[in-house]
Amino acid sequence: MVGYALRRVGIAIVLLWILSVVTFVIYLKVPADPAGFIVDIQKATPAQVAQAHHILGTDRPAVVQYEKYMVRLLHGDLGLSWPTVVFFNGQVRGASVGQMVWKAALVTGALVLGGFVLLLLIAVPLGTFAATRPRSLIDRLTLGLSVAAISTHPLVVGLLLQLFVGNKWKLLPASGYCTVSTPSKASITAWERFAPTGTQKPCGGMGEWAWHLLLPWITFALFFVALYMRIVRARMLEVLEEPWVRTARAKGASEFRVIRVHVLRNAIAPIVTMTAMDAGMAIGIAMYIETVFGLPGLGRTMIRALAGLQGYDLPVILAVTVVAAAAIIVLNLVADIVLLAIDPTVARRGRGMQKSLGRAS
Amino acid sequence: MHPTSGLWASFSQAVVSEGQSDAPRLQGQWALAWRRLKRDRVAVGCGIFLLVLVFAVGPGAPLYEKIVGHGPNDFFPYAVSVGLRPAGPFTVTWDTQLMSGDDPFALKHPDPPKGTPRTLLLLGADSQLGRDEFLRVLYGGRVSLTIAAGAALVAILIGIVLGAVAGYFGGWIDALISRVTDLVMAFPLLLFLVMIGSLFSYGLTDWTFHGLINQGVFQLVLIIGAFTWFYPARIVRSQIMSLRQKEFVEAAQMVGARDSRIMRTHLLPHVLPLLLAYGTLLVATNIMIEVGVTFLGAGIKLPTASWGSLLAQTWGSILNPNPYNPVTTTPWLTLIPSIAIFLTVFSLNQFGEGLREATDPRSVR
Repeated sequence: MVGYALRRVGIAIVLLWILSVVTFVIYLKVPADPAGFIVDIQKATPAQVAQAHHILGTDRPAVVQYEKYMVRLLHGDLGLSWPTVVFFNGQVRGASVGQMVWKAALVTGALVLGGFVLLLLIAVPLGTFAATRPRSLIDRLTLGLSVAAISTHPLVVGLLLQLFVGNKWKLLPASGYCTVSTPSKASITAWERFAPTGTQKPCGGMGEWAWHLLLPWITFALFFVALYMRIVRARMLEVLEEPWVRTARAKGASEFRVIRVHVLRNAIAPIVTMTAMDAGMAIGIAMYIETVFGLPGLGRTMIRALAGLQGYDLPVILAVTVVAAAAIIVLNLVADIVLLAIDPTVARRGRGMQKSLGRAS
Repeated sequence: MHPTSGLWASFSQAVVSEGQSDAPRLQGQWALAWRRLKRDRVAVGCGIFLLVLVFAVGPGAPLYEKIVGHGPNDFFPYAVSVGLRPAGPFTVTWDTQLMSGDDPFALKHPDPPKGTPRTLLLLGADSQLGRDEFLRVLYGGRVSLTIAAGAALVAILIGIVLGAVAGYFGGWIDALISRVTDLVMAFPLLLFLVMIGSLFSYGLTDWTFHGLINQGVFQLVLIIGAFTWFYPARIVRSQIMSLRQKEFVEAAQMVGARDSRIMRTHLLPHVLPLLLAYGTLLVATNIMIEVGVTFLGAGIKLPTASWGSLLAQTWGSILNPNPYNPVTTTPWLTLIPSIAIFLTVFSLNQFGEGLREATDPRSVR
């Protein structure tokens, strides 16, 4: 069992290393000349371009660059955003990619985490209900709905919710993100003076934050809810057959108590760990939702960096990739180990519950 | 490959050809699957819908273009009403690309000169440009389906090779391939697709095979295929792993058949039906991926229509979004592509599911 856990940790470390190599190779192979961020490529002399490359460190051999990159990565330094790089007093200054990506990761994290909580709040009661009354009208109805939900694009769900709930009926805020902390006076003044018309007024506070995230959370939950409901149902039906359930019933426990204490508790644990394994897909779905609802999350940060007017902002693109993929690898590892703690037989069987196709995003 | 190849099929054919009239008639696996499929009413309905769809986006689109007399990229200024709101479904508009009147920026324009023909926009105009939404949905469906089917084919081809090798030989080859599939599966697919799609093109976007497919289609086929092969690979691997223990493989090895021959003639025919069903599901997934990638700005570029670019055109990109405006936004332009995507993906999913059940030899029906 310990060996299994150690092997999983080892695999995770190897995966993280491969990830660093892959992102570095992408960085080397992308046809983008970062010198353009420091000098005007069209007018600059070759010497100036070479100087720019020297400042950015892109003229050194690949191996040296990789070594520097790895050292920085291990120190948590993700470099500087290219469009903001300035050469000033013999020093290279610019916006730190680490901070940018960290802020974005918090937004995506809030979206995904809140979405999963909402999802479980919907899926577990519905799945339980369907499982306790197999082949009833409710059961068949939820099955039909889940078939339809699997075929619905999350983008479409988001756009329609935004269009009707947010914009036409004005029940919930249609887009924008509010910080958890209240915005400073200075930022509001700056918004009044300089912001172009149509820009959202800076807002903040727990209430506003949750209120603005409600529609994204609903979109997220709606995409996954069908799948999770079916899984809760299947797990429940499985556990309902177990001998301890019969024992509990024979002892005269009420049906509610049997379901809550004996069945749900045993059925739910693997489902919670499954959310961690779904993290990869969740980040993809979050990308759609961030785009639709204008949330400054990881996906949106990356697309902005890809579509910038001055060219690609490679450090940001790669940092988002590294952070997202590393989060997924770590979450999968945690899920594996938690699953192992719940059910030690996993070490022999390998992890079960492979999900069906039709859901990759 | 002949459709009734495989050990079971040839055996049953041999029995049938003996012509015992009172013996129970044994059928090939494909005939059996066909009979089972016909009994699944949902799958049959979805299959018919898919056939109609393929006809509509294939020969149907140019046919409809001939009938109404305008193309998917022709614009009709008269189909955009006061305040730049695109016309809704069942609009008959003037068939002219010129606006009458002196002031091109006027809100209301006088009618065009007498004798201008009229033309029908079945689902209204697609944007402020006033193109035919129905034609664009048809041509967009062609692009989306081509990408989805092509990418599924690429994924299955890669999956067959890697999965068969991993499942047949086992050992370190299997461990390596399995780890790679785990690796690719764990990653956020969409993040990679958008990144690779925007960063690298190598001129692949311009490969149209003499106008056979639209610009950007080939690149998207390759990228999506290259990142989704792990699903078929896993299936092929697990199937082959269980099959290679069987007696007929042992028998083939005993008479000295090469590994490649065993895989090709003895193992693959067993995996093929399952792959066909999975391929259908993969096409459904790929349509979703195409829509997403195009919407996020890394797929098909305008003015080429695809189901993703129809949505993207209505809502804009991240850098210049088209915000909601109660005067100019019409829900039709979101609803129509959404319904097209939903119906297609739903039918593909249901048909694939029916196919999987029908081809499953353990199925009781």
